Amino acid sequence: MKCYRCGETLGRGKRCPECGADVRLYKRIMFSSNYYYNLGLDRARVRDLTGAVEALEKSLGLNKNNRDARNLLGLVYFEMGETVSALSEWVISRNLDSRDNIATTYLKEVQNNPERLDTINQTIKKYNQALAYCKQDSKDLAIIQLKKVIALNPKLVKAHQLLALLYIEEGRYDRAKKELRVAAKIDEGNTLTLRYMKEVNDRLKVNGGNKKPKKDDILTYQSGTETIIMPRTFVEMSTTHTIINLIIGIVLGIAVSVFLIMPGLRSKDVSSVNNTLKEVNETLATKESTIASLEAQIEEIQGTLDDANKSIEDSDTKLNSYKMLITAYNYVVNDDLENAGNALASVNTDDLSDDMKALYESLNASVSEQYIVALYESGYSAYNSSNDATAIEALSKVVALEEDYEDGNALFYLGQAYRRSGDLENAVNYFKRFVELHPGTQRASTAQSYINQYEASAGTTTTGTTTDDSSTTTTDAATTDNGTATDGEAGQQ
Amino acid sequence: MIDFEEELKKFKPSLEVEDAEDAIYSRDLHDMNDILMEIMREKENAR
Repeated sequence: MKCYRCGETLGRGKRCPECGADVRLYKRIMFSSNYYYNLGLDRARVRDLTGAVEALEKSLGLNKNNRDARNLLGLVYFEMGETVSALSEWVISRNLDSRDNIATTYLKEVQNNPERLDTINQTIKKYNQALAYCKQDSKDLAIIQLKKVIALNPKLVKAHQLLALLYIEEGRYDRAKKELRVAAKIDEGNTLTLRYMKEVNDRLKVNGGNKKPKKDDILTYQSGTETIIMPRTFVEMSTTHTIINLIIGIVLGIAVSVFLIMPGLRSKDVSSVNNTLKEVNETLATKESTIASLEAQIEEIQGTLDDANKSIEDSDTKLNSYKMLITAYNYVVNDDLENAGNALASVNTDDLSDDMKALYESLNASVSEQYIVALYESGYSAYNSSNDATAIEALSKVVALEEDYEDGNALFYLGQAYRRSGDLENAVNYFKRFVELHPGTQRASTAQSYINQYEASAGTTTTGTTTDDSSTTTTDAATTDNGTATDGEAGQQ
Repeated sequence: MIDFEEELKKFKPSLEVEDAEDAIYSRDLHDMNDILMEIMREKENAR
């Protein structure tokens, strides 16, 4: 202990050995402060935190520099959930004496955990809010808020106390008791907690007394060494009522399964089938769409193929026309006009280009005249040689090229060639044409006579008269006449 | 019998962390020893 005046260490005497100051009262104050510190420490050890706070505050009231008392007070506050009060004590303690002060360690621990500090602050704010709700008569909100506070800071004694007070006010004494028990575990000597606990216990006793069962409701009997106590209604219900309850239970179970479970299962099955059907329909639609698409592709490809085939055919036709044109040109170069004419007749001018058309027309113009002359000469020569087949072939071409060639001679001789070869029908057709083109001529009358003979013979055949001999004779005569006449005609040619 | 309103008055709002500094500065730290010193000083002055 140091002298309050000079700071010298004091001995057992009543005065300071250095400055001679009277230190009796000073020493008594210091001893009192230490006494209360020890008292506070003892109370804190048995968790009488309220008592400890009371003693430590007295100790510090006597001697503010009692560092241990201040640090312990901070620790007790911290244990009670009063963190700000604890921090205040430790800060003051450190400022009064910072050498080897455990308060520095406490403060560092708190400051190094800012999240914890933030939680503490949130807790305090919520507690204050809960208190405000209480004062506004919003007890439900206050209870909710206090539950949150306790969840964040379970050691906050006054939060438990306030919550217990709210429960008491609402008549929920069992809950109030639970909160008070928690508060008492933290701070056993808290008079407020103890007073509320007494109140709660009294209320619970009163309520519990009302619920005591009547003696008539209880059946008591001895089973060996044990006394069995049971409600009388239990005995009555244990026989017939059990069976009835069982039957009711079975009926209810069946009803539930029929009316609640089965429809659910059915609807589930129907839903499953519908889903499957939907999936199948979707798959079918997709496949139909694919088939339609493929068919469209097939049609398109078929069209392309047809076009290609047509194009090939057109190309073949064109190629053939060009080939025949070249062949005709070669025949012309070799003075083979007959074959040149034949080749030109096979050319389709629609297949030729404009240049080739000009070439064709040029060749055709030079060849056709000479060709028809040569053809007529060939046919006429064959006719005179009685080579009727060759004559018919050549003269047919002449007539096809120019029907009235040589004033109808080609037509007339063609008819004659047919007549001699026995093809009277064709012969008559050509004779008729000749008569039409050259009526009133000698040859027209000859042709007409052949026509008449043919028609007469046809009529005879139709009527069934046999005049074959005379007809034959006439025909032969005519042939002979005609042959002579032909010679004569040829001479005229 | 507990009177809720009366009991409620006993509960005071807690100090928030932001208010701790002001609370520390405004704290009256005079102890019995300070009072004793003051009395003795006055006594000496009176002489």
